[in-house]
Amino acid sequence: MVDWRLFEPLFNWARKKSLWIVSFCTGCGGIEMPPLMTSRYDIERFGIIPDPSPRQYDLFLITGYVTPKTLKRIIITYEMAPDPKWVLAHGSCPLNGGIYWDSYNAIKHLDKYIPVDVFIAGCMPRPEAVLDGIHKLMEMIENGEADGWKRYKENYEWYRKNQEELLGEGWREKEARKWIPWLMDKKKEVKE
Amino acid sequence: MTWEVGENLVKSILEKAPYAEGKVRRERRLEFKVPAERIREFLMIMKEHNFPLMLQITAVDWPKEGEIELVYHLMNIELGTHAMVKTRIPRDLDKAKMPTVRDLYPAAETYERDVHDFFGVYFEGNEKMEMPWILDDPEQGLYPHRKDFDMLGYVKKKYKILDRFDENKDRYVI
Ligand code: SF4
Repeated sequence: MVDWRLFEPLFNWARKKSLWIVSFCTGCGGIEMPPLMTSRYDIERFGIIPDPSPRQYDLFLITGYVTPKTLKRIIITYEMAPDPKWVLAHGSCPLNGGIYWDSYNAIKHLDKYIPVDVFIAGCMPRPEAVLDGIHKLMEMIENGEADGWKRYKENYEWYRKNQEELLGEGWREKEARKWIPWLMDKKKEVKE
Repeated sequence: MTWEVGENLVKSILEKAPYAEGKVRRERRLEFKVPAERIREFLMIMKEHNFPLMLQITAVDWPKEGEIELVYHLMNIELGTHAMVKTRIPRDLDKAKMPTVRDLYPAAETYERDVHDFFGVYFEGNEKMEMPWILDDPEQGLYPHRKDFDMLGYVKKKYKILDRFDENKDRYVI
């Protein structure tokens, strides 16, 4: 029996060198992604590649304001991922509401609903700032400080309570069922 | 300085629709005012006059007059001309009703649902009116873009953040 914990520093080094990202382009930050990915800032040199599927990613980028409706999708996408997973939030909107501080439809503190490892302040952070944030996250991964996924497991009740307070109890099922009448029966009626 | 092509266009439209008012705002901008119940007739005339594209339906809330103003933005591609067709309807929820123009301009379906979600104008004849659109369930039926919607109060209640805002404007916390 090998004690895998001995290899943890090696694993952490490897993890930091190959971050696969899913960028959830919720807000204005989506437009900062193309320069970041392409030749000007080129984050592929840090071993980062954009990944189309939520089942394989390591780093989840939330680029901008989050509405309750997208928060549902964010939570589902976050919970889909396999375990070491990190979240990086861009801009002041996920941090404290930003310029949408009095908007009825933008959530104010993202870290109440899912754990966030690194916040980048600014409205909108330039690609350099995002690079800096990713660099910081890499350091934190290497020395084991980036433990959002552990916090989510340990404090799951608290996160779950906050989510249900905002989105209503049983929102997962409700959201799935909401569309059924419109996809099935009503369509037939319209055609007739 | 007048824009001759536009003047002629407005004239020929108004000949067919004497109930409307119209003018040229500036080059390549036309503006029409139409009574609400004749909007379908008028848009049909507009379509004949080579305005095949609907850009947007917007709504403006005028709480003091008790009216909602709907603005239909139409585009003439050949002349590059943008026409605004304005109409006013009462603001009360049970009276804010419009005939749909979805069969004339298919793009209107989306915009009508938009206006219904945010302003509470019901478009009769659009069978997708009740279908969930942008707003989530808690806001449905609150019509948050109306001027009398209490935004800050709603935010405080929904997100349970009471201490961050100070009503006293000298001491904004944020
Ligand atoms: S922080 Fe600024 S740039 Fe970023 S999502 Fe909010 S408003 Fe947009």
